[in-house]
Amino acid sequence: MNYAHLHLLLNHFPIIGSIVGLGLFLVSFFGKNQDLKRASYIVFVGIALITIPAFLTGFGAQQMIKDGAGVSDALIRRHESSALLSMWFMEVTGALALIGLWQSQATARPSRWNVTAVLIFSLLSVVLIGRTGNTGGDIRHPEDQTGNAAPMAEGTMKDGAVGAFLHNFEPDPDKFSEAMTFSKWWWTFMMAMHFLGLILIVGTVGLLDIRIMGFLKQLPVAPLHRLLPWGLAGLGINIATGLMAFAGRPDNYIFSAALWLKILALMLLGVNAVAFYLTGIFGQVKRLEAGEDAPFSAKLVAASGLFLWFAVITMGRYIQPLTDTLLGTN
Amino acid sequence: MAVPEIFNTIEQSGISIWLRESQSIFGFYFILLFHTIGMSLVVGANAVVDLRILGVASDLPLRPLKRLFGIMWTGLGINVTTGLLLLTAYPTKALTNPDFYVKLSFIGLAVFTMRRMNLQVLGGSSLSEAAMIAKGKVMAKWSLVFWIGAVGAGRLLSETSRYFFYGHPAGG
Repeated sequence: MNYAHLHLLLNHFPIIGSIVGLGLFLVSFFGKNQDLKRASYIVFVGIALITIPAFLTGFGAQQMIKDGAGVSDALIRRHESSALLSMWFMEVTGALALIGLWQSQATARPSRWNVTAVLIFSLLSVVLIGRTGNTGGDIRHPEDQTGNAAPMAEGTMKDGAVGAFLHNFEPDPDKFSEAMTFSKWWWTFMMAMHFLGLILIVGTVGLLDIRIMGFLKQLPVAPLHRLLPWGLAGLGINIATGLMAFAGRPDNYIFSAALWLKILALMLLGVNAVAFYLTGIFGQVKRLEAGEDAPFSAKLVAASGLFLWFAVITMGRYIQPLTDTLLGTN
Repeated sequence: MAVPEIFNTIEQSGISIWLRESQSIFGFYFILLFHTIGMSLVVGANAVVDLRILGVASDLPLRPLKRLFGIMWTGLGINVTTGLLLLTAYPTKALTNPDFYVKLSFIGLAVFTMRRMNLQVLGGSSLSEAAMIAKGKVMAKWSLVFWIGAVGAGRLLSETSRYFFYGHPAGG
């Protein structure tokens, strides 16, 4: 198993997932089926989460194959440009879907603006991630290059009309990296925001977790849960600043075992959220008034969530000292 | 201004060298990790009380939130301890950096506000919720400002140091 394997394993999920999500969403639109709409939103959120490691492993895969025979640097860069654009659309679609899911708690449906925004962003995401997949496939699918075994040079690289149009919006990887790192003040600002996001997550999600675990039982659960949008805002800030920092200085991150353990913990938190919201546990605990005890299953989910958040923080702190632990292992 | 010789003495001590140079996972980054966890406890818990006073989740009963001050003091205790250890590792780097004093000032103001809020807003058992909120509103706003200032100044430390070690100016 290496980065190239991992990247190939993960990179089909965003494409297929966003198509499945959009399909469910469109059907729910015409069938006026709110449950289906919510299901499509859950798919969008899950796919936004999986897009993170799909994007990150791409940098590792690039390191592995860039010097290989028959691999065109120009093709890799075109793919990276495309990913640098599509990835943000996937994340924004996921964030909008999360907002819609939050809104649909009280009213059983997301607001009109939210549905419109998800429609626009999910459509654009499907187009952009399709292009990312296509440009990625061009890097190393020789059977697809009509007998032309020689690597393509920048000048001979062919894009269709759609691809050429989209390419105008795709950031140049070097310029993006430069934009993230040209000023130490911008970098410090991103890192400070990453910390404020962390504080919001621990303050709100952590507090909810320890209440469910049985501490601070004087607090009713439902109002505590209403603090959660602040924690989700913190998560949004941290995914955005984290991805920007990574794309700015990928070499600082891709060879650090701690980074991948951090991402693994983040993915497991996605599983944790599914266990909390989609198995009826949330329905049980949201009715808990002051002094009432949560069922054991809820405590277990809350405790594992809290553990995973601290794993994320711990691994985040050890990225730097472990920065080259994976050098030469692939 | 000359850098006091005592910084050098601390830097050359066994514990300071161990903290900086140990390859053990319980060395420098372990302490930095707990400094981060302590921060998330004290600022996270305080921010929740601030937000509640400022009108977020207004059906959350305010009085039981007094218990959160225990988490805040624990977090502060962790950070005073780990902060002193980090200072032992890099005394010259920290104490010659003006930003370090900016950070400490913000923390001082934030902790002062936190204590006042504990005593005067959540401590007064005779106050109604409305009275608590009226009394705490200004404190809650400043508390958020001070903590954001402290975190921001903390992150700026590594970018603003004038010395790495005694006798080793930064950027030289």
